[in-house]
Amino acid sequence: MNVRKIVRVMVAVSLIWGALTTGALAAEPIKMGAILPLADSTGKDGSRSMELAVKQINEKGGLLGRQVKLIMMDDEMKGDKAAAALDKLVTVDNVDIIVGGVGSGATMGAIPGMKKYGKVVVWIGGASGKIEEAMAGQDWFFHLHAWDYQQGALWETGYLEMEQKYGIKRKKTFMAYEEGAFGSGSFKAGKPIYEAAGNELQGEAFKSAALGGGDYRSVLRHAKEFGAESFIWTGYDKDALPIMEQAKEIGFAPGLFVGSPPGWPVDFKNTPLNQAVMFYSYWSEAQGVKNKNSKMYSDAFRKEFKDDPVTYFGPLAYTNIMIVAEAIKRAGTLDNAALIKALEATSYASPMGDTFVFKKSKIIDHQAFASPKIMQWQNGKAQVVWPWEVATAKLIYPFPAWDKRDKAAVPAKKAKGEKK
Amino acid sequence: MINSIVNQFKQRNFLFGFILILAAIILIGIYKPAVLVEGLQRSALYALIALPMALLLGIVDIINLAHGEFMMVGAYFAYFMSAQFGMDPIVSVLPALLIFFIFGLIVYYLTFKHIIGKPPLNQLLLGFGISLILSEGMTAIATNAPRKLSLDYVSSSASIGGVTFGTFEFVYVAGALIVLLGMQLLLKKTATGQAAVAVGQNPRGARVVGINVNNIYLLIFCVSIALISAIGPLFMTRYTLFPQMGSSFTLKSFSLVAVGGMGSITGVVYAALILGMGETLVLSSLKYGKWAEIIYFALIIGVIMYRSHQRQVK
Repeated sequence: MNVRKIVRVMVAVSLIWGALTTGALAAEPIKMGAILPLADSTGKDGSRSMELAVKQINEKGGLLGRQVKLIMMDDEMKGDKAAAALDKLVTVDNVDIIVGGVGSGATMGAIPGMKKYGKVVVWIGGASGKIEEAMAGQDWFFHLHAWDYQQGALWETGYLEMEQKYGIKRKKTFMAYEEGAFGSGSFKAGKPIYEAAGNELQGEAFKSAALGGGDYRSVLRHAKEFGAESFIWTGYDKDALPIMEQAKEIGFAPGLFVGSPPGWPVDFKNTPLNQAVMFYSYWSEAQGVKNKNSKMYSDAFRKEFKDDPVTYFGPLAYTNIMIVAEAIKRAGTLDNAALIKALEATSYASPMGDTFVFKKSKIIDHQAFASPKIMQWQNGKAQVVWPWEVATAKLIYPFPAWDKRDKAAVPAKKAKGEKK
Repeated sequence: MINSIVNQFKQRNFLFGFILILAAIILIGIYKPAVLVEGLQRSALYALIALPMALLLGIVDIINLAHGEFMMVGAYFAYFMSAQFGMDPIVSVLPALLIFFIFGLIVYYLTFKHIIGKPPLNQLLLGFGISLILSEGMTAIATNAPRKLSLDYVSSSASIGGVTFGTFEFVYVAGALIVLLGMQLLLKKTATGQAAVAVGQNPRGARVVGINVNNIYLLIFCVSIALISAIGPLFMTRYTLFPQMGSSFTLKSFSLVAVGGMGSITGVVYAALILGMGETLVLSSLKYGKWAEIIYFALIIGVIMYRSHQRQVK
């Protein structure tokens, strides 16, 4: 074999090898790395919804001629686990983009890693204003959730409107909050808003069941002694049912009973104690009556999993994947700069009922979120009671006394100027 | 038991302390009746959870850092018995006693048997390892999702003189009394119990006088595991269930045993009473409620300082 022949063979081999590897790269899926608390109801809904979105995208041919692969990691709502999950997604799985997120604490844990790797992050959780401060100047960070100060102000608007419509009394508000960063942060963010509205606010910390607590009777007694017309607790899903049981035990039934956990425990919808408990959210399955995207999402979820999404992190996670997918299509590449530009052009009609468009928040450049809603548990279902245009049920007010539950579980009679 | 109390009454310090606690309880009852009821219920729960550890650590010197995790497993057992067979958690205490006695037997033969008589660090590491296996194992089986049965009777209440208080938690008072009396009978009135005390005080001497030391360790370990696991169903009637719920109760029980005095079953009950009443009293103050946790540390530090002073005086 002469030299010319050897060169020809080598060139041929190189060409074949090149073609093969290019083909292989083309077949390589686009990897999305998701971090969620998989055992929590928020993470369960979120992960299923992401899988649903990826399945729908792949059924339509994927993105840029490639299939999409979702790699899911569990952060167990803990900062250290979130940081480890991020490291693994970037260094081992070599993902193209990071999505997910629920808890503020877990998000805070992942922030140093996010900054180190500089991958594009489209994040749906973490309402703490501290996250916003930490992400100042990071153009690769896109946030799909309201900050704590924003949601407090928006919900206050809702209460003011409900005050007028239903004659709600809430001059005396008692806020019980878990003693950690989540609860005390919420109290600090909410305090000036309540006081500005002319309400007398009393707050007290409690030890969450998540940290070895679980006896809320002293806090509930203080609220009762205070004569609270409105009671708001901010804690975790582990606190939800015992708080209701202990409120019943000591006969505490204020006009408004509001819970503010990140997600409700699975057993909560089955308890009769949930009747007329209010909470803040961004979505309810009941919205499907008025919004076709919401209905399409719920129907697809139910068909796929034979189950219903129970938290807003379901449609939000779906939105998360779809926004990323549309941006990748627009960018035509996975290059960071092009992807950031494409994400900035987002205008996505979400199953949350809103169109997501990124705007500048107080500190970060990219934030989009659904309009907050005030919800109420009614006969085992979460109903939207405000804003009026998306409301699915009338408010039950006042919160029925514990010994008159069966008779009182009917919509509020106090509504002013409401058509019968 | 009565002789023991009479003997302790003879000691001036004990009598002084007892009168002080009693007076404080009466004053609390007059000042805030709800605190008296809820403090008693809280104390009973602490005592109930700490007593099986007092048996194991205080009597036969075995440190079980997976104490709270065994309670967690027992609580999950009750949850699934309720979900699968509709069994009330209180009823499931009985099968839990039997099943977890056997479970304790397996755990002992596989693990603790091999570290009896070894330095305490080995026991600490083993207990820590078992606690991780139990909590992570339960996470794998049942996930981290919190679970709570909605039981109507747990929010039962009564009103006396305008004070409304919960009545269900008196189950913990009854449970603590039953476990306390049962343990006292076992240790004072049975040959096996007295042999256990002897093994705890001097294992080598006990062996020399013909006590089957290995069987005593095995029995006390299994009784302790069966008891704490059977307390799990009672605990989960009121509290939310999740795989990490046990660890804080391990630490609290450990401290109560240390404060009550190694080997003193009644001492653990008194320590639980001080802790439970103290915490509830501080929590009843809106302004100072957040300092309730300090009672726990103050109790430990106070007792350590007092004992240290006593040793110096002697």
